[in-house]
Amino acid sequence: MKVSYNWLKEFLDAAPAPRELARALTMTGTEVESLVESGGTLNNVVVAEIVSCSQHPNADRLKLCEVKTATDKYSIVCGASNMKAGDRVALALIGAELPGGVKIKKSKIRGVESQGMMCSEVELGIKDTSDGILILSPDAPLGANINDALSLGDALMEIGVTPNRSDLLSVRGIAREASAVTDARLKEKTFAVVEGARETEEIVSVSIEDGAPCKRYMARVIEGVAIGAAPEYMRQRLEAHGIRSINNVVDVTNYVLLELGQPLHAFDLDKIEGRSIDVRLAGENEKIETIDGKARALDPSMLVIADANGPAAIAGVMGGKYSEVTEATKNILLESAWFEPSSVRKTARKTGLSSESSYRFERGVDIESVPLALDYAAYLIKELSGGTIARERIDVYVNTLVPAPIKLRLERANAIIGVDVEAKAAGYLKRLGLDVEEAGEGALVVTPPPYRSDLKEEIDLIEEIARLNGYDNIPAALPSALLKSGDAGKATRIKRAVKGILTSAGFNEVLNYSFVSQKAFDMAGGKDGVQLSNPLTEEMVVMRQSLIPSLLDNLVRNLLQKNDEVRVFEVAPVFLPGGKLPVEDWRVVGLMYGLRNGEAWNLPKEWVDFYDVKGVVEGIFEGLGLEGSFEVGPVTIDDLRLFHPGKSAAIMINGKRGGVFGELHPELKLKLDLKRPAYLFDADLSLLSDLQANKKAYRPLPKFPESGRDIAFVVDVQTPYNEIISVISSLDTKLIERVELFDVYCGGTIPPSKKSLALRITYRSMERTLVSDEIEAIHGRVRDEIVKRFGAEVRGEQ
Amino acid sequence: MIRRLEELLKEALEELKAASTPDLVLQAKGKYVGRKGGIASFLKELGALPPEERKSAGEAINRVKAEIETGIDRLLDGFKSSDRDEKLKKERVDITLPGRRIVSGRLHPVTQVMDEIEDIFLGLGFDIAVGPEVEIDYYNFEALNFPSDHPARDMQDTFFVGGDVLLRTHTSSVQPRVMEASRPPLRVIAPGTVYRKDSDITHSPMFHQVEGFMVDSRITFSDLKGTLAHFLKSLFGPKTGVRFRPSFFPFTEPSAEVDIGCVICRGSGCRVCKGTGWLEILGAGMIHPNVFRAVKYDPESVTGFAFGLGVERIAMLKFGIDDLRLLFENDLRFLKQF
Repeated sequence: MKVSYNWLKEFLDAAPAPRELARALTMTGTEVESLVESGGTLNNVVVAEIVSCSQHPNADRLKLCEVKTATDKYSIVCGASNMKAGDRVALALIGAELPGGVKIKKSKIRGVESQGMMCSEVELGIKDTSDGILILSPDAPLGANINDALSLGDALMEIGVTPNRSDLLSVRGIAREASAVTDARLKEKTFAVVEGARETEEIVSVSIEDGAPCKRYMARVIEGVAIGAAPEYMRQRLEAHGIRSINNVVDVTNYVLLELGQPLHAFDLDKIEGRSIDVRLAGENEKIETIDGKARALDPSMLVIADANGPAAIAGVMGGKYSEVTEATKNILLESAWFEPSSVRKTARKTGLSSESSYRFERGVDIESVPLALDYAAYLIKELSGGTIARERIDVYVNTLVPAPIKLRLERANAIIGVDVEAKAAGYLKRLGLDVEEAGEGALVVTPPPYRSDLKEEIDLIEEIARLNGYDNIPAALPSALLKSGDAGKATRIKRAVKGILTSAGFNEVLNYSFVSQKAFDMAGGKDGVQLSNPLTEEMVVMRQSLIPSLLDNLVRNLLQKNDEVRVFEVAPVFLPGGKLPVEDWRVVGLMYGLRNGEAWNLPKEWVDFYDVKGVVEGIFEGLGLEGSFEVGPVTIDDLRLFHPGKSAAIMINGKRGGVFGELHPELKLKLDLKRPAYLFDADLSLLSDLQANKKAYRPLPKFPESGRDIAFVVDVQTPYNEIISVISSLDTKLIERVELFDVYCGGTIPPSKKSLALRITYRSMERTLVSDEIEAIHGRVRDEIVKRFGAEVRGEQ
Repeated sequence: MIRRLEELLKEALEELKAASTPDLVLQAKGKYVGRKGGIASFLKELGALPPEERKSAGEAINRVKAEIETGIDRLLDGFKSSDRDEKLKKERVDITLPGRRIVSGRLHPVTQVMDEIEDIFLGLGFDIAVGPEVEIDYYNFEALNFPSDHPARDMQDTFFVGGDVLLRTHTSSVQPRVMEASRPPLRVIAPGTVYRKDSDITHSPMFHQVEGFMVDSRITFSDLKGTLAHFLKSLFGPKTGVRFRPSFFPFTEPSAEVDIGCVICRGSGCRVCKGTGWLEILGAGMIHPNVFRAVKYDPESVTGFAFGLGVERIAMLKFGIDDLRLLFENDLRFLKQF
């Protein structure tokens, strides 16, 4: 909330300067988020008294004055003539800079030295015209800064009041806190309510329905008021605190709300049917038109202030239009009450109405200050609008607050804070207005004042002690604990490992929102998604079940920025249908697009293709030490929403599906207006993590030489490479060490339905050096098998 | 004979010195140390000498021969290497042309900072725990001492899914989950993604947090201060100023906001720190007894501290990023800077 420094000072003696006060408040937990000082920028201008005033020896129209402050004397040459000895004036000292840019320097005027300047209101920048210098009131303190003497400056503090401290939602509350955390002393305002002869109870009656969430309802009547504008100071203060001025009665209720923190409501008494107030829950189908002119449906969970006709106000939230105070109002019914915080909160949320009143009631107002606010407001209304205050106030107090004492063990306070506070604890608590009694055995019995409803148990008091002690005065220590190494856990380890592999392969990590548009969700074939009931925008309505649409969006946006080579990946969960909570399935998903090597002068300009993305998937497995632990499998119907049917494959791990990779479906390519195909992979992170648990084990290096043979042959173009390999490898697992593909060739002399493959087969025995006859024999079997099984035609051997 | 040998040596060395081509050197080689050269003729004379002189004369001949041969080899080597240098010079490349780049991508700046934070706490013996992003009200609020219908819930604008299911508003939700599943002593951080219904220059509806907590039999606010000061100095440098201010969070008491000396202006006051010289960097406090009660720990026998920090804010400060939205636009020109 906002609070004016000058207003605070009305409740404080010896208040520190604004910045100092702001710092003290902030460092004890009342955060001053901003401080705007206005006006009062005059420096080196002080209150001085004229001791003597005589004619300048060398000039007829100048005077020579001796002036004094509390500590010093000055002689001043002055051109004005409206002052006399004994007058107090605004003296600009050497070094002062006045609003017009005038700098005060030591000078000689007609041969006589002048040690400053006595200022007019024009020179001080206060008014546009003036007659001579400003004569101050005789009690202006000598030597005081002119800003203070004239209350020229103010400082508006924006205070972040935490939800537990409802007592700080008023000028008086902040002043009270300031008096606890600085040397300032709290002073209360005094006023007298002058009552007329007629009894309030003769005019109006008040009742609270049994069990209604209202513990106290007080009322006063002011008869014969004259509605008009509130005085300037009040209007200015309200506006500075963000409240619009309405009229002298409504403004008083708001002014008291700001000053004392108690929300009030003023009714036009003549519009209260039956002159009776009933505080009760609304009935089914009851309605009210609130002062903002809107008709609102009420329900039995909402507390209302009703007259004989029905609801006249939504309790603590907003008044009704019919009974509001208007220019025609003559008689006022003034309400000051305590409504149950949770009831007001529920009603405010249901009706979508949030007001300065509901904000305070929700957080809890001081039930013991209900009468003070009522009287103060009645007093101010009478002052500003005239009228007669009826005798005796109405006070329906359902449950008188019984203060609940809290036991505080000082040993416990030490154990939480980590420093010995025993000697100081009681003092801190007393400063805060708490009642403290010794209870023996190192314990205190503490009773908080009614406005501190946040203090409920021992730990609450310990916090008060800690913050008044100052966190700066608590030493910092590293805890002593069992020596152990931190465990990053499986999930973190796999994430980091995969991210490391992908960045090494040139992929950049992206972060996308977990919620996507319905369109993006549907595009990836999402089903039974986690829908937000209060989304921020249509782009963020459902938790994604695939990261691919997000990455495609990243691609399109980057291409717009002429980032032509795109390699991005994301590691994040998708939210799949589960029980009460969805299953959060962590994925690693990547996208490649553009030239494989970029536009480099010394590298071929080739576009990425299926085998690039397959290579990345293989690279992830290899990087994790899982080389060869996945196979490609057929894609599913669902995959085909996103992937090219002929250029995509499922990642199969021990027969379980671990992901998918391949070319973006040409339809989507067209839709996204891509010039080239994009390639994507999507893998299940936890499956990779589970696999990785396999221990790495050493295999002895071979002691005997290897022997390689090349063979090139032609087979049907549809024959899968991995079938040929598995046939060859299974021929002799002992002697065939590895098979490598070094050329695939189509076209030229090869018929269109065929392809030529060239393999290098490496033979080795772990037990002996193979002789050439043995190698020829096994190689011959390989050749025969390929011819027999795949109808291959051998083109050459080496 | 010795004198004649010295003359031969002198003559040979002079001739070699004058030899300007490999051919002339080879010519000199034949003349002095060849089969029919000067040295050979001296060797023939040896037999004629009396046996007692023979030994010293032989040594002298060998010494001169070696000296001449060394001179010849050095000259020939010289001709050879200057030849080679000449040839290599012609193979020169333009060393200013760009190299064949090995491509490498970057981790997102948020990940980089997250990793750094995790590593500091791993080093202090904290374990990493994870929890669900779609969460139930109980773990996000109720168990953390946020009663329903309490204004404290307004501190965090929540995305709701329906019933009591919501998107977690902080990774503090992992705190009661871990405490329910294990017993003290605990030293845990919970990094992760969180969601709040808020979007402007300084707020993103999705962002990242690291929650941390330590529970043991004698943990104090003093320990909290020491641990977090150590962490912040590790992250921002040993000279970083650290300040603790009282604050309020439902799940800690006493609670603190922790500020660091402004990393931009070094404390003199600037736009980023709003002239205060301090930057709010994390929230912390002693775990509230009600949180312990919710997870069936006895607040009389254990105490603990907890803290939470926003990763984006730290990344922005560390890298000087002035607009939060850049972190989620995924423009490669931005991502490649880190």
